[in-house]
Amino acid sequence: MNDEARMTNVEGMTNDETASNAGSPSSFVIRHSSFGRGRFLEALTFWIFRLATYLILAAATYIFLDIGIKGGRTVFTRTAPFINVAFLSQAPQTLYVFDFAGKKMTLGDREFRDWKSVHPGVEVEATSVAYSAGGIWPCIVGTALLVIGSMALALGIGISSAIYLSEYSRNGPLIRLVRIAILNLAGVPSIVFGLFGFGLFVIFFGWNVSLIAGWFTLGLMVLPAIITASEESLRAVPQGLREGSLALGASKWQTIRKNVLPYALPGILTSSILGIARVAGETAPIMFTAAYAMKDEMPWQVARFTDFFFQGVMALPYHIYVVSSKIPQNEYTERVQYGSAFVFLFLVMLIALTSIVLRERSRSRLSW
Amino acid sequence: MVSVVEMPEKTSQITASGPEVRRGLIEIKQLDFAYGDHQVLHDVTLSIAPRAVTAFIGPSGCGKTTLLRCLNRMNDLIDGARITRGSVEIEGIDINAPGVDVVDLRRRVGMVFQKSNPFPKSIYDNVAYGLRIAGITKRTLIDEAVERSLRSAALWDEVKDRLHVSGYGISGGQQQRLCIARALAVEPEIILMDEPCSALDPIATAKVEELIRQLKQQYTIVIVTHNMQQAGRCSDHTAFFYLGRLIEFDGTAKIFSNPRQRQTEEYITGRFG
Amino acid sequence: MERVAASRILIPARRKSRRAQMAIEQGIKAFFGGNALVAVIVLALITIFLFREGFGFFGQNLANLQLYRQAGLEYVDIIRAVTTQHEALSRKLSEIRLREVRSLEKRNAAPDEINAALAPFDQFASGFSDTAENLHGLVSDLTEQASALKEQLAAGNNSGSETALRALRERGATFESVSAEMTASVSNLMATAPALPDTAEQKSFDQWKIAVRDYLAGFPVASKKLREWSADEPIPWYRSLSSFLFGREWVTASFWQDWYGIVPLLVGSVMVSIVALVIAVPLGVASAIYVSEVASRHEKRLIKPYIEFISAIPSVVLGFFGIAVVGQAIRAASQSSLFKWVSFFPISERLNIFTAGCLLALMAVPTIFTLAEDALRNVPRGFKEASYALGANRLQTIARVIVPASLSGIVSAVLLGLGRVIGETMVVLLCAGNRIAIPDFSQGLGAVFQPVHTMTGIIAQEMGEVVRGSTHYRALFMVGLVLFTITLGINWLAQRFVARFRMSVG
Ligand SMILES: Nc1ncnc2c1ncn2[C@@H]1O[C@H](COP(=O)(O)OP(=O)(O)O)[C@@H](O)[C@H]1O
Ligand SMILES: [Mg+2]
Repeated sequence: MNDEARMTNVEGMTNDETASNAGSPSSFVIRHSSFGRGRFLEALTFWIFRLATYLILAAATYIFLDIGIKGGRTVFTRTAPFINVAFLSQAPQTLYVFDFAGKKMTLGDREFRDWKSVHPGVEVEATSVAYSAGGIWPCIVGTALLVIGSMALALGIGISSAIYLSEYSRNGPLIRLVRIAILNLAGVPSIVFGLFGFGLFVIFFGWNVSLIAGWFTLGLMVLPAIITASEESLRAVPQGLREGSLALGASKWQTIRKNVLPYALPGILTSSILGIARVAGETAPIMFTAAYAMKDEMPWQVARFTDFFFQGVMALPYHIYVVSSKIPQNEYTERVQYGSAFVFLFLVMLIALTSIVLRERSRSRLSW
Repeated sequence: MVSVVEMPEKTSQITASGPEVRRGLIEIKQLDFAYGDHQVLHDVTLSIAPRAVTAFIGPSGCGKTTLLRCLNRMNDLIDGARITRGSVEIEGIDINAPGVDVVDLRRRVGMVFQKSNPFPKSIYDNVAYGLRIAGITKRTLIDEAVERSLRSAALWDEVKDRLHVSGYGISGGQQQRLCIARALAVEPEIILMDEPCSALDPIATAKVEELIRQLKQQYTIVIVTHNMQQAGRCSDHTAFFYLGRLIEFDGTAKIFSNPRQRQTEEYITGRFG
Repeated sequence: MERVAASRILIPARRKSRRAQMAIEQGIKAFFGGNALVAVIVLALITIFLFREGFGFFGQNLANLQLYRQAGLEYVDIIRAVTTQHEALSRKLSEIRLREVRSLEKRNAAPDEINAALAPFDQFASGFSDTAENLHGLVSDLTEQASALKEQLAAGNNSGSETALRALRERGATFESVSAEMTASVSNLMATAPALPDTAEQKSFDQWKIAVRDYLAGFPVASKKLREWSADEPIPWYRSLSSFLFGREWVTASFWQDWYGIVPLLVGSVMVSIVALVIAVPLGVASAIYVSEVASRHEKRLIKPYIEFISAIPSVVLGFFGIAVVGQAIRAASQSSLFKWVSFFPISERLNIFTAGCLLALMAVPTIFTLAEDALRNVPRGFKEASYALGANRLQTIARVIVPASLSGIVSAVLLGLGRVIGETMVVLLCAGNRIAIPDFSQGLGAVFQPVHTMTGIIAQEMGEVVRGSTHYRALFMVGLVLFTITLGINWLAQRFVARFRMSVG
């Protein structure tokens, strides 16, 4: 039926064309105009899609710019060395704001004490703003410690487990179950891991709020993701390479070490770096397992060696949470709020960028 | 033309009478093989002569690859795959016996795969891989062995100037010969080839076939092939399989000119398969 | 020709003894296996621990509810409900007054004039308020008695509880007389109800009067409940679970009675997620289609990593940005004259569902985009080419071939986006307003601009302060469990969709 209809149509067209000579608009042009409506719809839809895409990019760019510009004012200086060394190298302090001799004074904790000793007997009414003076050095250190420890834990156990699952285990129902469980655990919210870490490490084991509790909590949080991603990279190595190696008389471990791991490594590395970004960026799991809002000593200032592991630390993400939720917003707090956000964002994005670049590189290099 | 220097047997496992007679001899006895519940080989009994080329032919899915992979226990890698009855003996030793070192076995029974699988390393490293794995570190020894193997695989002249380019940087035929060279480098006694030419063009195929004819002076070769002419051209013995059973096994000339079984004849003449 | 092969002496049989070699291989395998085992056990432990701590909640909450009854708190709350109703009615009156003032202002009435016009109404309102004076006195007496009894019982001291309870009931029985008095005075008052100048307000005032009549009719019911109430009646076991799953109140550290009802938190989480998805799904899917089907190669090379890059923005930074910029901007926008026509604008809270939803949308977009783009890209070329060959244009091909073929992949992308949003903590903790209340849906879309608390937020906020092993502590674990179950379910669903996608595309 349909075919027939088209046939007549075609015939009709040819008739038309033979009848009408050059000069009169051919039926082709008429069809073109009806085409035009479809074209218009298509163009419109694509423009809407384009708009949606660029809207996302614009929103993100706005965030980067807002934090970059306002935070940049804290982190960078106009004069050499162009970086606000004090902000990066000092501990947070309380800021004191007061009027003195018709001038508005804003002094940090220590400066205020010095000022007082210089001006004995002067009574000033100072408003204090918590955390808003000084810098964020202990937070940077704490975050670095948390990331190093938890990633060492997660990578050690995670990559080993992935090697076992992908290279050694027989594909029985138990292993399948384990794999599904791990895959699903990767999607469990970080706060649930925090809850678990708090209940088990902080309270049940009695480790209190400590570096080691944070390591375990964060490490276990990224563990499923690392196992899954590493196993995926291992499985992406063609079976032929394993068989080829084994057929040459290589033992299993030799095969894995020389002919599987090297090719899976870029993938594993990429996912590990993403894991680092995630561990560094998470706040919820460390809120009540590892992070203190304020601590006067640096982590290495401990009496005994073991105390190192059982001390809470300051951490950048938690610091941002504290300064953005626990203190009111005003002209004095913006400095530390945006400054910390800037430094933190910069560090995490740097890590993420590394992983994206690395992946793009290895993607183009390794293919079979 | 080809000078073959025979050295006395160094490996100690082979103590059966008349080592020179049995070297490279494979005996498959009443072998049943299954993937899980799916039985693939039924009662295969076959004796593969040393220093000769034996071809396995048969339609797709009849179990040729499976049988071949039984000979160096490559099937160990597949979950659920197992020999359910019978044995495979190489030089009189049951290779599936508990005491047998599978790693050693595989070094002595080399394999070339259907899909060429050079490692993503340089040509040199591909060939040297097996030697390094075996613990040889002396550079001069490895250099020598690499050259010797590449020459044996008739690849040396084509790649001698670019030994350090990737194994993937050469043509398909060259890749397959590289895999053969790689297998030769570890000095196996037996070489298994699973349709080594299935992905190659006629010229490359001819080169590989020529190579096989040369290698048989030195090695026991088992080759799986789909290509009747190829079996005819380079094998001494031919085994025809159908649905997991050995239908006929005889000298190649005999099989191709005067097969005993009707199925064999039909397959060879191209009436099915 | 060449020497084919020379010697076989190059490789010695095996250098190390075979046994040692095997032992090493076994050791390596055992090492990896051990690690895998540790990982599995620890991850299983998490789950088990979560359940263990969570399930203790039921027993404790049951005891909590039991105490509520035995100490007579439940009894007191029957009367308290009446006072709450009374207060609600009073509040309604002031709302009517407020609207009345506004409409008078519109007619350019001077403030004095307005007050004069509304004087009878004000008198009426305060009269109504006063009718509950005795009732309030009764409730505060009872509250005191019951609190004392609860404290005593909680300390494990049962002596004299009988007499205390009897005293409580005796005092409570005066509700009959108090309520009768109230009925009389309210009825008298109603007779003197003034008329309102504005007809629209008169209408809502009339409605109010009907509500009052219903309220009065409720007194005997309350009396009956009081009479029938018994402190000894056991609480059924399932109440512990149902009061958690269906409880509409989450009240903790209260001097009176703690309630652990997850509904307000669940509703908060769901509302925030819905808002986030409503924004993120169109954006994410549209941009995925754009990048995979429309964009030029250069655009692709820029956009894809950039959007993936967005996913790395730490949530706490987004939350901070929400507090510092977005919330303020939304409130400012709601005050602008551009949105005068929107009934629920201007909004009063800058931190609300919408603020949190907007930021969460930005977190969900990369997830949705990446996975959807993946699904779209994996549609076999053949499908597209077949469609083009039939004369379809690009839009038709996308709408009729590519999107349907990758639909289950897109659905799973959306599901995983949902999983990410519902489990997100910092953004909602910082930006959702943290008011534990079910939003007032009578406002329609305006409900979206109210502050809520969420499941993740409540854990983050309260976990640091609870006493280990307390009912509250376990209630938080229960919330965690619910969260765990929900995300597991979403993940599982998403994987099923992915599997189907793989199958349909082949
Ligand atoms: N890894 C495997 N798992 C299960 N069955 C297999 C596997 N490999 C092959 N088979 C089955 O075993 C039979 C023989 O396969 P194969 O030995 O590869 O045949 P051939 O090489 O002769 O084409 C086929 O029916 C095939 O489906
Ligand atoms: Mg085969």
